[in-house]
Amino acid sequence: MTISNEILITLFRKMVMVRHLEKRLEGLIFEARVPCSGHFGLGQEAVGVGVASALAASDYIFGTHRGFAEYIGKGLTAKEILCEYYGKATSLSRGRLGQHLLKIEIGIMPLPSSLGSEFGMAVGTALSSALLGTKQVTLNLFGEGTASQPDFYASLEMAALWKVPLIFACNNNQYVELDSHSNISTSLDVALRAQPFGIPFEIVDGNDISLVWEATSRAVEKARNGEGPTLLEFKTYRRSTHYTGDPGGYQDSKEIAEWSKKDPIDRCRAKLYKQGALNEEQEKKIIEEVDSEIEEAIQFAEDSPYPASDTAFTGLYA
Amino acid sequence: MIREISFIKAVREAFQEEMRRDQNVIVIGEDVRAGIFATTSGLVNEFGKKRVLNTPICESTFIGVGVGAAMANLRPIVQIMFSDFLYMAMEMVANQAGQWHYLSDGKLKVPMVIEAPSGARGGAGYGHSQSIEASFMYPPGLKVVVPSNPYDAKGLFKSAVRDDNPVLFFEHRHLLTMKGKVPEEEYLIPLGKAKVYREGSDCTVVAVGRMVHEANDAAYILSKDGINIEIIDPRTLVPLDEETIFQSLKKTCHLVIVEEGRKRSGFGAELGALAAEKWFEYLDAPIKRVAAPSLPIPYSPKLEKAIIPDSHSIAEAIRKTLIGE
Repeated sequence: MTISNEILITLFRKMVMVRHLEKRLEGLIFEARVPCSGHFGLGQEAVGVGVASALAASDYIFGTHRGFAEYIGKGLTAKEILCEYYGKATSLSRGRLGQHLLKIEIGIMPLPSSLGSEFGMAVGTALSSALLGTKQVTLNLFGEGTASQPDFYASLEMAALWKVPLIFACNNNQYVELDSHSNISTSLDVALRAQPFGIPFEIVDGNDISLVWEATSRAVEKARNGEGPTLLEFKTYRRSTHYTGDPGGYQDSKEIAEWSKKDPIDRCRAKLYKQGALNEEQEKKIIEEVDSEIEEAIQFAEDSPYPASDTAFTGLYA
Repeated sequence: MIREISFIKAVREAFQEEMRRDQNVIVIGEDVRAGIFATTSGLVNEFGKKRVLNTPICESTFIGVGVGAAMANLRPIVQIMFSDFLYMAMEMVANQAGQWHYLSDGKLKVPMVIEAPSGARGGAGYGHSQSIEASFMYPPGLKVVVPSNPYDAKGLFKSAVRDDNPVLFFEHRHLLTMKGKVPEEEYLIPLGKAKVYREGSDCTVVAVGRMVHEANDAAYILSKDGINIEIIDPRTLVPLDEETIFQSLKKTCHLVIVEEGRKRSGFGAELGALAAEKWFEYLDAPIKRVAAPSLPIPYSPKLEKAIIPDSHSIAEAIRKTLIGE
């Protein structure tokens, strides 16, 4: 399953959107225009965009708290994201969710604050698709740090036992909050943890979006055909700090420089240029369109009203 | 036709009827195929292994599976072998199951039942004997059902399965073998409707689950002295039928609350506070709570009995209330 240039260019555009939106939102957070802090993923955009774009609109995805890449990859817009971050009445949740982006209509499922609480839920949605025969797959994207949660192992066990259409996708960016993964674990290749359950696994260069999309597409096809779960591990690197209030300093500057050379957007651009699928003029147009979409979205969110206070008291029970 | 059947059989019939009625009802849990307390025994023969799923031992994950399945159009009934183990899955119940309907502004629903055998039955020890239902009154978005007899158990269970919210269903292990009259015809009991178990005029006794029967024994003891109590079985702690309790209180002007669970921050603490807030002018005496102390449940049957309320401690509390003590 080889990616076409037509798809690759849409992924390039989405990665640019992720990077520019994160950068712009960071400024809004520092200006206190947005009440929350932000978790950004500079340098790891290929993973989320790549895995989410390999799914159909009806497929389920559970994403991460550093998840603009997968949410934009699955089809969420800058406007939808910003309205949630601003907590405005025009957001999909009418101001209830903030960073916990969700859009059930395009399969974006809950992002629990307690990392890893989605492991069981993802087995549940996949089980439902299998029992109801809907052919939907579920993809659960999580970080290598979250893979330490005990629910991870029991969810591998149940997914293998029931052969549900579930893709475990590990975004291994090598940093778990403020520490290196190697300082808190001796099991650095998360993919190997699939082995005892008999789940097929693959370690993929997470900074090459073509490889991310292709590996995910293979796993999706298998899951859709009833062949059960796969664990994919994408090796990448987080050049952002953990959150907007984190001054950093725990990452080696040489290490950051090394990984900057492997930047996923640069690599995607180079490939598209080489194949004649993108030129400077087209790239400039993409960037202009992305930036104007972001500016329009900010304006819309800024101009939107906050939800009325009395709406806080309704709708607890179905 | 009315028959006498056990609590277990009544609940099993509720499972069968709901699974026949709705293909999307599935059962998840440890040993649900064999059925450790027999409410699910035999279901696998009729409904197959795809709808009756034995899980590995990991409560948080398989309750999570139920939450996810419920969000994706199934109606799972998740059985937890002992309600004590719910604390292992508290994250899934308290932070996830009850909250996403609200958070998603109504776009997600979590229609699931958590069936949880509970309570002290003599000699099961600290981690298989607790009555922790009050713990689930605090997190938002949950419903809490505590039936006291086979008839209510069946009707409430069927309503719980059809409810679009997460419902915790606590069945006291001491009641599982209790027999009671249950009609063969289908019936439902709405969640949030209390039952006046015994009519009386001197004191309102709100008793939870198995304590309804201890309160009834206390009623007999007190009747010899001419004291006539009214027993209310709330049946569901959330939602709570305040109106039925209020109507009784207006008549008796005395309130005693009885539960097998712990007194501190228990159901009685909540109902007592509610009564003091709303119905103070109707109270002729201080509210009394009869409940277990904040202790682990000790193993020895004699020690266990010492900390669990019974008809005598209930009768004593009622007598004290009636003399304003």
